[in-house]
Amino acid sequence: MGEEHLDTRLLAELTEQSQDLNSDALRITRDALTDFGQQEPARRWWQRGGTVAALAGGAALWGATRATAASSDDIQALQTAASLENLAVSVYTTAAGLPFIKDGNKTVSAFIAKTTTQHQAHAQAFNAAATQAGGKAQMDPDPKYAAIVKQMLPSIKTPADVVNLALTLEDTAAQTYTAYVSKVTDVQLRKLFGSVAPVEAQHRSILLAVQALLAGNMADLIAIPTDPAKLPAAAGSVGFPDAFYPTKNASPISEGAVQ
Amino acid sequence: MSAGTGGWELPISEGELSRLTRDLDEAHREYLPLMHAAATDLGEELRDTRSAQPGPASRRRFLLGAGGVAAALTLAACSSSGTKNAVGVGASSSTSPSGSSGSVYTGDLQVVALATALENQAVGAYTATLAAAKAGKLGTVPPAVGTFATTAMAQHADHAKAWNAVLTGAGKPAITGVPLSNQSATLKALGAATTVGDVAKLALELENQAAQTYLFAAYNVSSAGGIATAASIAPVEAMHAAILNFVLGQYPVPDDFLPVDKAASPTLLTV
Repeated sequence: MGEEHLDTRLLAELTEQSQDLNSDALRITRDALTDFGQQEPARRWWQRGGTVAALAGGAALWGATRATAASSDDIQALQTAASLENLAVSVYTTAAGLPFIKDGNKTVSAFIAKTTTQHQAHAQAFNAAATQAGGKAQMDPDPKYAAIVKQMLPSIKTPADVVNLALTLEDTAAQTYTAYVSKVTDVQLRKLFGSVAPVEAQHRSILLAVQALLAGNMADLIAIPTDPAKLPAAAGSVGFPDAFYPTKNASPISEGAVQ
Repeated sequence: MSAGTGGWELPISEGELSRLTRDLDEAHREYLPLMHAAATDLGEELRDTRSAQPGPASRRRFLLGAGGVAAALTLAACSSSGTKNAVGVGASSSTSPSGSSGSVYTGDLQVVALATALENQAVGAYTATLAAAKAGKLGTVPPAVGTFATTAMAQHADHAKAWNAVLTGAGKPAITGVPLSNQSATLKALGAATTVGDVAKLALELENQAAQTYLFAAYNVSSAGGIATAASIAPVEAMHAAILNFVLGQYPVPDDFLPVDKAASPTLLTV
């Protein structure tokens, strides 16, 4: 079937042309790579004056000396990150004033206070980066999760309810920043997101442990120091459920961008 | 079989030719991105070779060649579960140095090798801890500590598996031991541990080191797969550290931003 329609002469010509094209492509690629290797090499990150120490810095991730190379998508990502932080600060601040938190477990209230300041630091860092890159600071909460929080707030009656809500926010932030590490184009922003994501993941880890202890009526073990001998076996693993941090629930970069 | 004209004979049918052409086209389309990535990496390797300086030159981009790129891109897919098997890492296993003057792992792959070795070191440390606990050398071990060690060990094994996939994908041997110059000191410290607190402190050091190494790596590589993998592991190691801090009676989230002052240097590698 169809064998009679095959023009073998044309096929031979096309095959020869294809071989020529392939040979030319390989030669051009090889020449280009050779030329590239002979060019004056671009200065790498560790060769730029004093940048090793600067890059190794901790919270001062977005110093005044950095070159602005952020894209508009990068700025949106920073604004969305700031919006998530703003919401977290708002929720934790509200939670701190609730009677069953304010007058409840001292370790939980101390955790909320410390975590609030950490989220404030993150928001400041994200907004500083956004403005230095030419964008606007985002001072509002993430609209999607703000709506969810607004819906959930009336039903929050216990510490466990607060923990559940905080878990949602921390996991969203950690997933979002983990994803943004790969999305942003500026290497300093990669570092910024990469240095915040693990902190939010740690918040989540502790909240998962607290959640388990509350569910097991072991609130007395929510203490620093705790009594490791009394901790249930599950407390040892509940705080890190994934071998690789997921990103499927990461917020789109435009979600909290300044309109 | 069709007879051709003009002295050229096609030894297969048109249908077979169409199928083979389609297969070739698909293979071509699959290969082109890898070739492009390989060419990009090769270009950068050439540039790096020319500009290489003594010292931290090995802390460069992770992946060399299409094999490494392809392997890294599939890491998340092949290693997403929480409790997969280890990769043959024993508590005291050790990969012998290559014996030659040059390292088997050069350039960016040296950083991948470092990550693998760190993961194997953690697996080995937790394995030794569990063995010591079983032998009664650590006193009474709380159930939560045992669960922690078992689960964290499995996750580190997953991480090692992911990094080894990069190495083997790039044509390099997998690392199944702990070819690190600090391994003997680590084993010595483990051997000297007599309490759960002792091993928890040591584990905390390893977890902090791993998390910070991955953060450092995440902003010093340009391969999308390498960046994403490092970024997805750093939070998990940080979570391990948070629980260890809690067990040790220390504040579990001590830093506003993860630092990199404890990140491991590739100079620790002995292969």
